[in-house]
Amino acid sequence: MTDILRSWIGGALPDWVIVLIAYLLVTTIVLFYAVGNFIMMVWAERRVVARMQDRLGPNRVGPAGLLQPIADAVKMFTKEDIVPRSADQWVHLLAPIVSLAPVAMMLAVIPWGRGWEPIDLNVALLYIVAVSAVSGVGLMMAGWGSNNKFALLGAMRAVAQLVSYEIPAVTALLTVVILAGGMSLLELPYMQAGVPLMGATILCGDAAGCSPSLYTTVTSFPGSPGEPVQALDLGLGWWVFTPVGLLGFIVFFIAALAEGERTPFDIPEADSEIVAGYMTEYSGMKFATFYIAQYILNFALSALAATAFLGGWQGPGVAALANMGGPWVHVAAALSAFYLLAKIWVLFFVMIWLRGAFPRLRVDQLMDFAWKLLLPLALVNIVSASLMVGLTQWTSAQWGGLLSLDGFAPWQRQLIAILVTAIINIAAAYWILSINQRPTQEEWIEEELVVAS
Amino acid sequence: MTTEIQTEPTEVQTTRGGVYVIDRSRPRLRAGQGLLTGLDVVFRHFRDALTRKLEKPSQQTGVFTVQYPEERLKLPEAFRNFPILLYDDETGHELCTSCFQCQRICPPQVIHMTQARDPSTGKPVPAVAEFLIEYDACMSCGLCAEVCPFDAIKMDHEFEYSTDVHGGLTINKEALNRPISYYEKIAPSFWAEVKDSAMKKLQGNMKRRPDLIGVAPQMVEKIRAKRAESAAAQAPAPASATPDAAPADKAARLAAARARAAEKTAAEASAEPVSESTPADKAARLAAIRAANAAKKTDEGATEAPAPTGGAPTDKAARLAAIRAANAAKKSAEGADAASAPPAAEAPAPTTGDAPTDKAARLAAIRAANAAKKAAAQNDGSEE
Repeated sequence: MTDILRSWIGGALPDWVIVLIAYLLVTTIVLFYAVGNFIMMVWAERRVVARMQDRLGPNRVGPAGLLQPIADAVKMFTKEDIVPRSADQWVHLLAPIVSLAPVAMMLAVIPWGRGWEPIDLNVALLYIVAVSAVSGVGLMMAGWGSNNKFALLGAMRAVAQLVSYEIPAVTALLTVVILAGGMSLLELPYMQAGVPLMGATILCGDAAGCSPSLYTTVTSFPGSPGEPVQALDLGLGWWVFTPVGLLGFIVFFIAALAEGERTPFDIPEADSEIVAGYMTEYSGMKFATFYIAQYILNFALSALAATAFLGGWQGPGVAALANMGGPWVHVAAALSAFYLLAKIWVLFFVMIWLRGAFPRLRVDQLMDFAWKLLLPLALVNIVSASLMVGLTQWTSAQWGGLLSLDGFAPWQRQLIAILVTAIINIAAAYWILSINQRPTQEEWIEEELVVAS
Repeated sequence: MTTEIQTEPTEVQTTRGGVYVIDRSRPRLRAGQGLLTGLDVVFRHFRDALTRKLEKPSQQTGVFTVQYPEERLKLPEAFRNFPILLYDDETGHELCTSCFQCQRICPPQVIHMTQARDPSTGKPVPAVAEFLIEYDACMSCGLCAEVCPFDAIKMDHEFEYSTDVHGGLTINKEALNRPISYYEKIAPSFWAEVKDSAMKKLQGNMKRRPDLIGVAPQMVEKIRAKRAESAAAQAPAPASATPDAAPADKAARLAAARARAAEKTAAEASAEPVSESTPADKAARLAAIRAANAAKKTDEGATEAPAPTGGAPTDKAARLAAIRAANAAKKSAEGADAASAPPAAEAPAPTTGDAPTDKAARLAAIRAANAAKKAAAQNDGSEE
């Protein structure tokens, strides 16, 4: 964007103004994109959940009820803004802003399409983890500032939940960091090129070069550390198809549900228990701000899950179009943006699906789930990820003579790595699940069927 | 997951005593199996809700929403909201005879009615003059419909009555009336049960209703037109109705004679002090009404038994009756005060023979009534 602006109005303005304008433009576009998706998500959630409950959902305002979010927005804007007399005025006012701002900041580093990333940050994953943790402060401020017992309870629950689920989430993201060898989100979709399971390891055997519509030059993991090679690329080498990626994705997605306070983890705003949690004392536009923050957080977390495990904007045809060069690069970018959006919406549909199917967890079940199931699985997955990288990329020198896989072709090494990690992950999953199930049965036998002697 | 189900209960001793344990042999769920089953159920609901509606109760999935203003469920026959009154499509006669049963039984007392009276005799007629139901206080209990011996009041299926007009839910007879065909449409089997007895009772009541009394207000014009039409259609037809004319004639004469007698008594009465003048006035009016009625009867006789030969005599008879009535009135007036003769003298001038019998008779009756009134008025004046 900066370059385009420079070429248009190069000499007319000082360079810093151009950079400023460029960033403002990009920010505006990204925020509009997110808010537009938020509006559609609210509509889609209500419609889809309605169908799951054999209803129709909003269908009166506009065609198929599409204008319902606008009607809702008008209602929100015109509602009275009520602040409790005993509330901490400033904290009460700032809380929605503090919870929305970090969520909006998360959008800055996500690559929305091939070459469409607002900022290239080499510690993007760290940035996202750090920034998303700030929104917990906003929730605590809301609960504390409202001076209401339900709000405070909700805030306490929210913070407890955010803190405990951040650990499995970050651990699951750590597998991505290990696989990618860095924290940049920008590189992740490029690394997930290739074919399912095998990734970009099936290399071009023809010395004269292969068809650019099927083969792409790959410069990084997993096939070729170092020098560029041509590999079969269908845009489907997503990590979710490998055992490491699958487990990481499941753990991260469940943790993302909890962070986004989606059912079945909507304990902080359990309306049948504590009114509306930390949002109890909010009305009108402040309430809407929390609402927007929550949905944009879901949107951003879906985008992050899609980028980290589902290939991001990667999909069939993107690389082929990009290889054709010229204006086709822009078509490839548009197609890639569509792929990412489609993945986000599929994940969002799963969120709605879960909401339609599952009841809310208890607080102790919530904690058990995070600490006894997700965290061990994520830790095991880190080991698997390390093995995956070692088996596919390390030379025998790096192994220190322990293991020599130098003689194998990249696809053979990938296959070995997949087998090993699959065994580890499946065994670990079985074991952890079984030790989590065991005590309940024993207790039942002891308590209920004590034979009187 | 087919497992052998052990139905034999085994007795197990616990710390709280013996209990029977039935092994239901539920297959052991694997971790997450319950969750996946739940997801599957929800997804089937989602998929089916996109493609079909819930039609049979046995169906488990599909949209059950009925989009009310556009789509409506078929109401059961026994559905009841507010009461309505029925009238016969053919004759326009209302089934209601104002027996007051519904008014009496109505728990919130929202039914009000007045009985119709024969204008000539002042006697009650088995028909209702006005009927009011306050829908806004009606509790839709349906007792009125149950108690009605003539099946005249029934419960309607219509329920969209919301209004912003205060008092707009006090419904009068005209708005309460529905043709029988309407009720037959909404509750066919219910009407079939009572149809014969209801129609039989209606036939009996119709005989006791003079003229258009008891005809639904919205049907009056139509019925009148129908009667005129049928009269016109039957007029040229030859019939052996000549003897009927004579009774009609007789009746008219009798009426006139009664009128005269009444006038006489009135005149006698008016000769007495002032306080007595009012009854005399009344008596005169009554006589006039009777005269008019008699004239009308002859008219009816003419329409019922129209014969080319019979038309003239009835006409004559009617005129005659009117003239006699007028004369009687005049005389009574003269009897009271000799100076008051001239206005009454104008009364008996009969119209030309070209005019229809009906008109002529009425005109005569009206004139007779006027004469009587005038006589009474002069009577009063002379007393003072």
